[in-house]
Amino acid sequence: MPRTDLSAATALCGLVLLSATAGIAPARAQSAYKEAPPGPGDADAPGKKPSDKFAGPSPFAPQAPGVNAANIPDGPPAGPGEATPAVEQIGSHPAHDDWPAYGRDTDATRFSPLEQITPRNVGQLTRAFVYHTGSKPAPGQVNKWAAETTPIKVGDGLYMCSAMNDIVKLDPATGKEVWRHEAGVKYASIPYTAACKAVVYYTSSTVPEGEPCHNRILEGTLDMRLIEVDADTGKLCEGFGYHGQVNLMKGMGESVPGFVSMTAPPPIVNGAIVVNHEVLDGQRRWAPSGVIRGYDAETGKFLWAWDVNRPDQHGEPAEGQHYSRGTPNSWATMTGDNALGLVYVPTGNSAADYYSAMRSPEENKVSSAIVALDVKTGSPRWVFQTVHKDVWDYDIGSQPTMIDFPGQDGPVPALVVPTKRGQTFVLDRRDGKPILPVEDRPAPLATDVQGDPRSPTQPWSVGMPRLGLPDLKESDMWGMSPIDQLFCRLKFRRAKYEGEFTAPSVEKPWIEYPGYNGGSDWGSMAYDPKTGVLIANWNVTPMYDQLVTRKKADALGLMPIDDPNFKPGGGGAEGNGAMADTPYGIVVSPFWNQYTHMMCNKPPYGMITAIDMHTRKVLWQHPLGSARANGPWGVPTYLPLTIGTPNNGGPVITAGGVVFVAATTDNMLHAFDAKSGKELWNDVLPGGGQATPMTYEYKGRQYVAIMAGGHHFMMAPVSDALVVYALPDGK
Amino acid sequence: MAGLYRPRRASEWATCAVAVLLILLGLPLLIMGAELALLGGSLYYVVAGAAIIAGGILMLMGSVAGAFLYLLAWLLTWPWALWEVGFDGWGLLPRLLGPTLIAVLVVLTIPVLRRLQKTSLAQKGIA
Repeated sequence: MPRTDLSAATALCGLVLLSATAGIAPARAQSAYKEAPPGPGDADAPGKKPSDKFAGPSPFAPQAPGVNAANIPDGPPAGPGEATPAVEQIGSHPAHDDWPAYGRDTDATRFSPLEQITPRNVGQLTRAFVYHTGSKPAPGQVNKWAAETTPIKVGDGLYMCSAMNDIVKLDPATGKEVWRHEAGVKYASIPYTAACKAVVYYTSSTVPEGEPCHNRILEGTLDMRLIEVDADTGKLCEGFGYHGQVNLMKGMGESVPGFVSMTAPPPIVNGAIVVNHEVLDGQRRWAPSGVIRGYDAETGKFLWAWDVNRPDQHGEPAEGQHYSRGTPNSWATMTGDNALGLVYVPTGNSAADYYSAMRSPEENKVSSAIVALDVKTGSPRWVFQTVHKDVWDYDIGSQPTMIDFPGQDGPVPALVVPTKRGQTFVLDRRDGKPILPVEDRPAPLATDVQGDPRSPTQPWSVGMPRLGLPDLKESDMWGMSPIDQLFCRLKFRRAKYEGEFTAPSVEKPWIEYPGYNGGSDWGSMAYDPKTGVLIANWNVTPMYDQLVTRKKADALGLMPIDDPNFKPGGGGAEGNGAMADTPYGIVVSPFWNQYTHMMCNKPPYGMITAIDMHTRKVLWQHPLGSARANGPWGVPTYLPLTIGTPNNGGPVITAGGVVFVAATTDNMLHAFDAKSGKELWNDVLPGGGQATPMTYEYKGRQYVAIMAGGHHFMMAPVSDALVVYALPDGK
Repeated sequence: MAGLYRPRRASEWATCAVAVLLILLGLPLLIMGAELALLGGSLYYVVAGAAIIAGGILMLMGSVAGAFLYLLAWLLTWPWALWEVGFDGWGLLPRLLGPTLIAVLVVLTIPVLRRLQKTSLAQKGIA
């Protein structure tokens, strides 16, 4: 009987079976998803020769119109000079109520002495005001926004820049706009991200008090200008540069808008503005230079350059020449040391991050390092390298923090250096020698990249708790069910993985872990000098990368930003890159299940840690960020579970005993008890809180401000809202 | 026993659906699990996949042994999961949550399959 009548059941069941088999196919086929590495044995393309349609412009080619955004006449190349003697700046001794610099003070402690808000009353915080900067993507524009802004507060003004560099002064109590300087930055000038981390407050040594531009607000722009405006009126300071502006593209050679840009506040050290800039990653080996330059804070006059491959020339390049191409760039916020006359430059990698065979010995000495430059001459005084011959994009994103290290024979002037590796180096600021032990440990050497050997050892800061988790294992792979978990286990086994320094690979994908957004990216740390407590939030976000041949890169449509066929928004610093001028392109993706968009490794993906710097012991540590706005296929789960999400943006610690941090992809501002780490309060923001909060007091009331600008790469919703909290009146 | 049974009632259709579901879920486990095993990874998935598919096929043929085969695989998954990740909640979630939900469905099919087997035997007896 059953034998005779198979029709109904078999038809039904067979149909579903068929579709199931088909359903597995995409999981095994090469994905069309643009961020998926091609897979084992598929890094080359059949057929045609590499394209020679685009040969790359000569570095000597004149800059196209718009690269010098304000059309500022350059004048002849300047030789080295000396800064106008400076008066003491408020950043060195901030008033009790103020937050006068990006990191609160020149030491970059992110510590505020305010104590009105305490663990007992923080739960009562309510919104005092919300200010809209007006900077967000227009309809039809690819979203490249992530404001990352921390306002500064001096006296009666809250000063900040919008993601597109408009400078504003706000009333600290109401958020009312007092003045606005429109910078006129164009969309094409956005590099990887439209961001402006902070403006800089400067008090003039030559303009008397009461006259315009005695106190000034300085910023560096996405389109490579320095702008100084009067702090009271927002009007350009005529005595600075060319009617208030300096063209930083001078001497850079061939470039296009968006290739080179400033997103971090330039420190002013003993009268010298020290300028670094981001060079868009992954474009070409001979990208514009990563040169570091000094300018007079008073006049905008060029002072010196530190150009890695022209180490003995501190002046501007001669007519028709340019700064050395492809050198390591520094995009992080630098820290200035007025007492020692140094600026600590956190460097990144030479251009073409994942291929090191074409780098000079000079570049290999200073990439992914802290370089202490003498602010009088621009010469390095010492260098401490955190990764040797970096091919993992482990550039230093965080601003180092200056502390008095509690040593056995009294305090030592120290620099705390967070890294993406989660290794925190503690250096003597005078000579760059490690205060806490650093061990050179063997690193994997196996590589199939011809002629590009890896460094046999890498430095580990063994005296500090590691902000990271153990190396990945197959059993760490995760998912919602055994099937998607198995998919990730397979992805893990198909890849090359030999621990943290697994060398790049052509033959198959390799796993980069903790990943270029791991450890501390640009968020930096907070340090309470009274208690010696260091607060750090950090990431656990492995990446899945593969080098591809030039032919394959062409087939994938990878092209540098200065290629005439380049599509804006098509390739980015943190994604696939042409790495033109080298034999390889790079395909980079999160180590995730590309179908569910869930990370392949199990949670947590983000953590927060408090370290006692007297004992270097972890006081508390726990996952940071809830699952509420995250889930498979990007669908919010609204689960109040603390899963630990990726986070970008730093912490703040107050004398009141509260730690504030946003940063997480749950789009919340969190308050923790500094002593216990217990979460005391949180609030859902109108956009992602990928910025460092700040706190200030005004007319007897303490405020906490966070830019909820969101982050395009972290898929956190973009907004233009600065949200400011305070306790209800009378508390 | 060489053929499939013909579902008549809703409960029999549901049982058939559960059986198909097992096969659907077992196939990716078997295929990807085989590659994982070849790459030196865990053997659990290819074995579990084979067992689940076999269970599904047996159930389609109206045999209660299929349901018990799945339940055995599910039961053995627990000690395996604990051996791999201990009592880590996040780690246990993908390994146990889904299979347990399916186990509930499979348990519900047991009375149906028992009845089908009886009917089938009775029919054979008559024939």
